[in-house]
Amino acid sequence: MTLTGGDLPRRTLVLGLGNPILSDDAVGLQVARCLKAELAGDPWVEVDEDFNGGLRLMERLAGYDRAVIIDAILSGAAPGTVHLLSAGSMPTQRTVCAHDVSLPTALAMGRRGGLSLPETAEIHVIAIEAADVMTFGEELTPAVAAAVPLAVQAARQALQGDAHA
Amino acid sequence: MKRISIDPITRLEGHGKIDIFLDDQGDVANAYFQIPELRGFEKFCVGRPAEDMPNLTDRICGVCPEAHHMAASKALDALWHVDPPPAAKKLRELFYSIFFATDHTTHFYALGAPDFIVGPDAPAAERNILGVINKVGMDVAGKVLKMRHDGHALIQMIGARRVQPNWGLPGGVSKGINEEQRKEIEKLGRDAIEFGLFSLQAFRDLVLANKAYVDLILSDTYTHHTYSMGMVDANNKVNFYDGKIRVVDPDGKEFVKYAPKDYLEVIAEHVEPWTYLKFPFLKKVGWKGLVDGKDSGVYKATPLSRLNASDGMTTPRAQEAYEEFYKTLGGKPVHQTLATHWARLVELLYAAERWVELATDPEITSPNFRTLPTEKPTEGVGSVEAPRGTLTHHYKTDERGILTEVNLIVGTTNNYAPIAMSCKKAAQNLIKKGQVNQGLLNMVEMAFRAYDPCFGCATHTLPGDMPLVVTLYAPDGEIVDVLSQNTP
Repeated sequence: MTLTGGDLPRRTLVLGLGNPILSDDAVGLQVARCLKAELAGDPWVEVDEDFNGGLRLMERLAGYDRAVIIDAILSGAAPGTVHLLSAGSMPTQRTVCAHDVSLPTALAMGRRGGLSLPETAEIHVIAIEAADVMTFGEELTPAVAAAVPLAVQAARQALQGDAHA
Repeated sequence: MKRISIDPITRLEGHGKIDIFLDDQGDVANAYFQIPELRGFEKFCVGRPAEDMPNLTDRICGVCPEAHHMAASKALDALWHVDPPPAAKKLRELFYSIFFATDHTTHFYALGAPDFIVGPDAPAAERNILGVINKVGMDVAGKVLKMRHDGHALIQMIGARRVQPNWGLPGGVSKGINEEQRKEIEKLGRDAIEFGLFSLQAFRDLVLANKAYVDLILSDTYTHHTYSMGMVDANNKVNFYDGKIRVVDPDGKEFVKYAPKDYLEVIAEHVEPWTYLKFPFLKKVGWKGLVDGKDSGVYKATPLSRLNASDGMTTPRAQEAYEEFYKTLGGKPVHQTLATHWARLVELLYAAERWVELATDPEITSPNFRTLPTEKPTEGVGSVEAPRGTLTHHYKTDERGILTEVNLIVGTTNNYAPIAMSCKKAAQNLIKKGQVNQGLLNMVEMAFRAYDPCFGCATHTLPGDMPLVVTLYAPDGEIVDVLSQNTP
């Protein structure tokens, strides 16, 4: 099944982010694992897992035309809420790793440094509201686990060009 | 009493806040640095095989997984009473030197440099790596990205996996390197030396040549006279990978030098009611509160303290940089916290030179990179210098190697007390009569950014709020005003 939208195929990275041993912080990884099998036949889409934000995340995006990033979020919404964001709307410098450079700042730096990066509008962020990211554990909390299929569907829509941030 | 809150702290991993309490005159009466801690790590580990620890603990820190991986590997050596062969130790130290150079690059340019090179009073939107690029020149972006790219590629080449290595074993490592890889490592190491020299020159040109910045570095606001801790080799020279841990007093005199396994005889922890954090201190001096001086057991474990605790560097250009550092700042030891950024660049150069030394060692491609353990596991302690301070892993197991107890002292933990003291002193000296603006608050934050702290940085979660919300409270708890990054 090819899920790329538009007339020309675009190199797309689907990236689940998180820490697998910090409870709900692993939800992005879980969503990516669900997508990996169904997207395996598409030569233009790569599904991967990663553990970084900021500069390392920016460097991971180098060479792609489009990205769908899936991650946990703490915004005060009800746990399990699925947010659709864009990289340009990432508000803060407080993404962990790489000493807290925000993704927009990292993208700007990468472009100044000559890296080929997706346009900001082509970086979609699927963020699942977490309940607990501070306790070591390998299980998602119930509301977050229940949100995984919704996040998978949101990622599919983003790939088809139907996501609205 | 009014309260100003910097919550959360900008440009840091993890989460935290500084609560600043004003008195009725609007001067700072007290400041408290508080952070939440990750929960349940020991409980998570107990019952697991100890060999899992290099791969588990490298998920504790999103920035320095390599440090945890290395400390865990050394703890496993001790646990199984096995001494790795020389080639394994050299490979580990090579890997670690590459990591150190890469990590220090990231911290300096993304976290520390904006304060000096752009200026502490610059608007918040410019106080970041883009501001540094604007000031230093476009080519610095390419240099920093190349340094990071090279370092990460080599870490993956040697450590068998991207980001979190999968390499350390009790008695050695899981794979070595071949000659083709060695040549690549050497070539990129020579590039790293040039980058280290470039960075030090940039610091001279943009910071040391600016009297206002030098005055800031030397100011009492950012000075604390404490003990200094760092790992040293048999000749008391800085070593990030192996050696004993040396502590010098505020006058620079050796206070203690101990093997990692004896850390509990040297360090104890103090608890305060207003924070989850425990404050390590030197047992034989004692806990006297969050205060300076020879009679206070507070110590620092930072790049600055590593240089203070040593008698020099083993590599030639880093040794020249070390001598220039102390000559400029008036001799040893140096207690100006902001000088930590400069010390970090001296260490970057040392790491790059050590990288090339090890890459050109005749034993580095040896196939003899592991000694199999033959004894039953019992208890083991492994320490390395993490970029943020001395890192210690302590494991106890049953005779099958299943963990029964785990204790970690991470690099930043050593510095909880001096970080709190630095924030309070900066706040007291910079906030007067209730006058608060973005520049002043940033200068308070500069106090702790010099420590390059990691707080809860294992979490990856996207944030949902704007950072740097300042809340002023009246003595009765009413909110007087709220400032944020977008408020002039």
